[in-house]
Amino acid sequence: MATYEQLAQEVVKGKRKLVIASTNELLQAGEAPLDIINKALVVGMSEVGVLFQQNKMFIPEVLMSAKAMEEGINIVKPLLQAGDMKSNGTVIMATVQGDLHDIGKNLVGIMLESNGFTVINAGKDVSPEQLVNMVKELKPDVLGMSAMLTTTMLHMKDTIELLKEEGIRDQVKVIIGGAPVSTDFSTEITADGFAPDALSAVGLCKRLL
Amino acid sequence: MKNRVNYRANKTPSMKVLTDSQCQEILLAAEEVLFRTGMEYHDPQALEILKKHGCFVDGIRVRIPPFLVERALRSCQKHVVLCNSRTGKPEMFLEGNNAYFGSGSGTPFFRDPYTGERKRSTNQSIGWATKVLDAMPNIDFCMSLGLVQDVPLLVADRWEFEQQLLNTSKPIVNVVTDQWAQADCIAMAEAVAGGAEELRRHPFITLYLEPISPGIIAAESCQKVITGAEKGIPTIFTPCIMAGTTAPATIAGVLVQGIAESLSGLVLSQCAGEGAAYIMGGVYTIMDMSSTIFSYGAPEMDLMLACLTDMGHYLNLPVFGTNGCTDSIIVDEQAGIEAALSITMTNLSGPNLNHDIGYCEYGTTANLDLVVMDNEIVGMARRLTAGIPVNENTLSLDEIESVPPKGRFRNIWDTDWDDDEDFIPKTNNRNFESDLISRAAHDMWKSNGRKSLTERCNETVRDIIENYEPEQLPKDVKAKIRDIVEHAVAKIPGVN
Amino acid sequence: MYTSRSHFKRANFDVNQTICWKMLSEDQCEEIFVTAVELLERSGAQVESEEARALFAAKGCWVEGDTVRIPSAKLEWAVRTAPSRITLCDRNGKRAVLMETENNHFAPYFGSEKILDRSSGEQRDITVNDVVETARLSEKLSRVSLVSAPGKPSGVNKNSAGLHAFEALLSNSTKPILQPVGNAKEAEFVAEMAAAAVGSSDKLRQNPYVVFAIQCDEPRFHDQDALGAVMFAAKSGIPFVYLNKLVSGVTAPLNTAGTLVLALANSLVALTLSQFVSAGAPFISGGQFTVFDQKNAVAPFGAPEAGLIGAGFSNLMRHLRIPSAGVYGLSDSNFSDAQAGAEFTYGILTSALAGTNVIAGGGALESGRVASAAVLAMGDEVLGNVHRIMRTFDMDEEHLARGVIDEVGPGGNYLSESHTSFYFKSEQYWPTLINRKRIDDWVDSGAKTMGTRALEYVEELLSAPAVSKLDSAVAAQLKSILAKADQTL
Repeated sequence: MATYEQLAQEVVKGKRKLVIASTNELLQAGEAPLDIINKALVVGMSEVGVLFQQNKMFIPEVLMSAKAMEEGINIVKPLLQAGDMKSNGTVIMATVQGDLHDIGKNLVGIMLESNGFTVINAGKDVSPEQLVNMVKELKPDVLGMSAMLTTTMLHMKDTIELLKEEGIRDQVKVIIGGAPVSTDFSTEITADGFAPDALSAVGLCKRLL
Repeated sequence: MKNRVNYRANKTPSMKVLTDSQCQEILLAAEEVLFRTGMEYHDPQALEILKKHGCFVDGIRVRIPPFLVERALRSCQKHVVLCNSRTGKPEMFLEGNNAYFGSGSGTPFFRDPYTGERKRSTNQSIGWATKVLDAMPNIDFCMSLGLVQDVPLLVADRWEFEQQLLNTSKPIVNVVTDQWAQADCIAMAEAVAGGAEELRRHPFITLYLEPISPGIIAAESCQKVITGAEKGIPTIFTPCIMAGTTAPATIAGVLVQGIAESLSGLVLSQCAGEGAAYIMGGVYTIMDMSSTIFSYGAPEMDLMLACLTDMGHYLNLPVFGTNGCTDSIIVDEQAGIEAALSITMTNLSGPNLNHDIGYCEYGTTANLDLVVMDNEIVGMARRLTAGIPVNENTLSLDEIESVPPKGRFRNIWDTDWDDDEDFIPKTNNRNFESDLISRAAHDMWKSNGRKSLTERCNETVRDIIENYEPEQLPKDVKAKIRDIVEHAVAKIPGVN
Repeated sequence: MYTSRSHFKRANFDVNQTICWKMLSEDQCEEIFVTAVELLERSGAQVESEEARALFAAKGCWVEGDTVRIPSAKLEWAVRTAPSRITLCDRNGKRAVLMETENNHFAPYFGSEKILDRSSGEQRDITVNDVVETARLSEKLSRVSLVSAPGKPSGVNKNSAGLHAFEALLSNSTKPILQPVGNAKEAEFVAEMAAAAVGSSDKLRQNPYVVFAIQCDEPRFHDQDALGAVMFAAKSGIPFVYLNKLVSGVTAPLNTAGTLVLALANSLVALTLSQFVSAGAPFISGGQFTVFDQKNAVAPFGAPEAGLIGAGFSNLMRHLRIPSAGVYGLSDSNFSDAQAGAEFTYGILTSALAGTNVIAGGGALESGRVASAAVLAMGDEVLGNVHRIMRTFDMDEEHLARGVIDEVGPGGNYLSESHTSFYFKSEQYWPTLINRKRIDDWVDSGAKTMGTRALEYVEELLSAPAVSKLDSAVAAQLKSILAKADQTL
């Protein structure tokens, strides 16, 4: 008979099939869907975060765990009441206009998701206008922008200016990242923060919200 | 006096990672990837060219039939020579195992040689960097070691190239953001060379581009390939891939993908202009799975680039390699270790144009102390690659017999040539000499201030910045270049 | 892969299972060999030991005064007779070091005069406690395969200092020991202690865990003490390195090939003697080379020429099928800095690629004069890097990953692929001292140089509990042999 500890460990070890089996087992035994999420799946993922910090787990393993956890969530989610599942916040992730580099941004998205955020991946080569429209429509908590080149990073400033023009700058936190970006640049363009890597991006989002 | 046959000698040390069987395997695997999976070319002109030559084009996805790859490998120029920009004389023969060394380009940051602070690179820092590169005897070509960030960013690459043109006569690998910048920089180079045909005949620059791995060639990159082919300027195509992230986690997989990407650029190049000179580049490394950095010091990088070089020799293409760089934030033992490993491995395997000297902090910060130090390390590596000549003269039997047991040998190299002779042959096997490497006794080192190699290199950097004068361009040429820089038109990325 | 059907087995696929590297071709090695043989047959060498000369004469060599000339056939016989492989065991009799083909191992350098104090950073005399710590540190460093004392400890009888060092090594490490000996008497005491630790000299002979290092640093001259040690070692079946320490332009010709001829000739004299004493005696040919630096008037053993000549020497030994050793990987730097890093890396890389069976140059600065534990730890890390490069990689359908490349496609990423999860750990080398942190994390961790991290690592390793100590009876036995040595020597 599966237990919460066991399911959590299966998430830690990234065992997708076992997670599916244990989640179903727990449901059949009458455990509450929300408990399965909070007491097993999220617990497992939190442990993954700690192990990663301690250099005992590495990115590909973290992603395996995230995938496994997602399998569990997918089974349980349809059974939840609306509003039951609290997300830590909604984040739009985008690579700015004229730039096609997105692996860093995608990694941030995956880390955010496995830490309980809802992530909307806007893709790459996204113009300031498109981003502002998305902010208006989807009302996210955070807008995250990524750029690889010193030329394209200028679009981050354009986007923030456009948000100000449209009067919605204070409705969303703006964070930025990418090789040429830095804290100084973030301050210069009045963004809310800069994160040098995926894990610190998660920390930054948690602090801002 | 010996008279024999069958004496096969290593004139220089030999190193190989891949056998011909393995090279062939990788080539065929890459051809399969290009045929089955294909690449994305984000440029309508490129798509048109490729379609015309027989590729299968679905939107922006292009699948390349193997015969095009094989034809391109045969048609591209094999004898590629780069020249001195002031004299037009050949300085770099990019072929076979000839290994030349140079710096890296566009780091957003730079260590101030006077304060040690990490600052944003600027027009001035690039000027300084170029002067140091010009002054170093073992550095053969230049990349910018910075980005100009104290001028409007969208035209900054023209300023960058100008600083390089002013401060060195060595060949330059020209890195620009888009095709309009490329056109401006080529115009600047033509001004220096004395015209478009002169630049073609005595090229002192190469163009440079990278795909966005896996599998994407952006619009500006496609345009650079086409321009290089049309203008007859050698073009470097460099996949920068990390095992496990933008390429498969296995080294064999990295090689397949990297070669496939390189060949996709080659095919476009030869279809745009048959016979164009194309240089296969690579920064193949791993992503450190804890810190997520693109590692510039990993031993896997040295290994993969040696493999890339073996592939280059097999395919008879010039190779652009990577060395002299470090993941260390400062120039400490780790920098010495990683630079020595990469430079020595590079010199042994023989890629032709080897960049990233001076790169610290996994490519984020340029450090001129490291440039000077790498210059010494290149000297050390070249001493090894000079090899051990074994012939009757060097075996020294007579000399050994003429010195009694427990006796002493002479220490001066004799020359058989009169000082009056004009022709003095160079010998490859001179001992390594350095003013910066310390061999001092302890007390002498202490009384000289207990300096580290890095500190001694830093003194050299400052001396060059303050006192070294590179060979100047004529006034009218400088004016022409300045004119192009000042009239450069900014193009917003993604909009134009 | 994505094929629907492609079954085949193929022939004629050759691979390099490791990097292939050669400084000298087989023909070049042979030229050097025949020249060395001609030298010894025609001009010979000066052999200072009467006992050795008598043995040479008895075996058919030509002896005139102090000069011994050895006919080619005897030299070739000796090369063929000596074993091409030597297995060293640990103190418990388990196999530990395979000296064969191009298999390489790493050991600390054993000839320093001073040591860097880890707290003050200043040079000071080597103490017995330093030897203890070197043994305990080497025990913990995974790529250090043999232990040796950094140098002769002070504070004890000068003539038996080497034995005090040996006792400290033996008591604090189970790894095989590289022990410099200056004469037969010293060697005898070492052998006695070594035998006592394992029960008998027969056990020692069958599971050797001690290798003598006997130095020769003159051209064509072999002194009494060294040859005495050679003959004792051969008689007892204890493997020994005859270490040729030569400086081109002083004790050897300027030309590198000439230096190799001379070094080989020196080695052949000791080799032939050892085989005359006992056919099949285990022999290791060793080298420590450099060129004279005219400008600074020094013989810098951290120079690139040290690696160049050493590589030639190791290739030569491989050609002759004689196990090789060498002092490579020293730095001329006065302290641990980027120069040290570059020089010891260059030395370790070159000698490993050349197939040197024991690289005995770890942890030494200032051309070998000063020992440093941190530098030893860093050398261990470098060798890990070098080994990763040397072992190359696998090539088969799974590793070529075409199917994965197709699935991921342009614009995708490989991070979440199970192929990545499966392979990333074994394909990569995992460093301990090398920094891969981003600048903020590095600053938060103290903005340390690698040298500082190495020092901390050393302290960490030394604070861990020590290896199982020797049996108290054995320890007492060792002490009594040591006392005897103190009195006699």
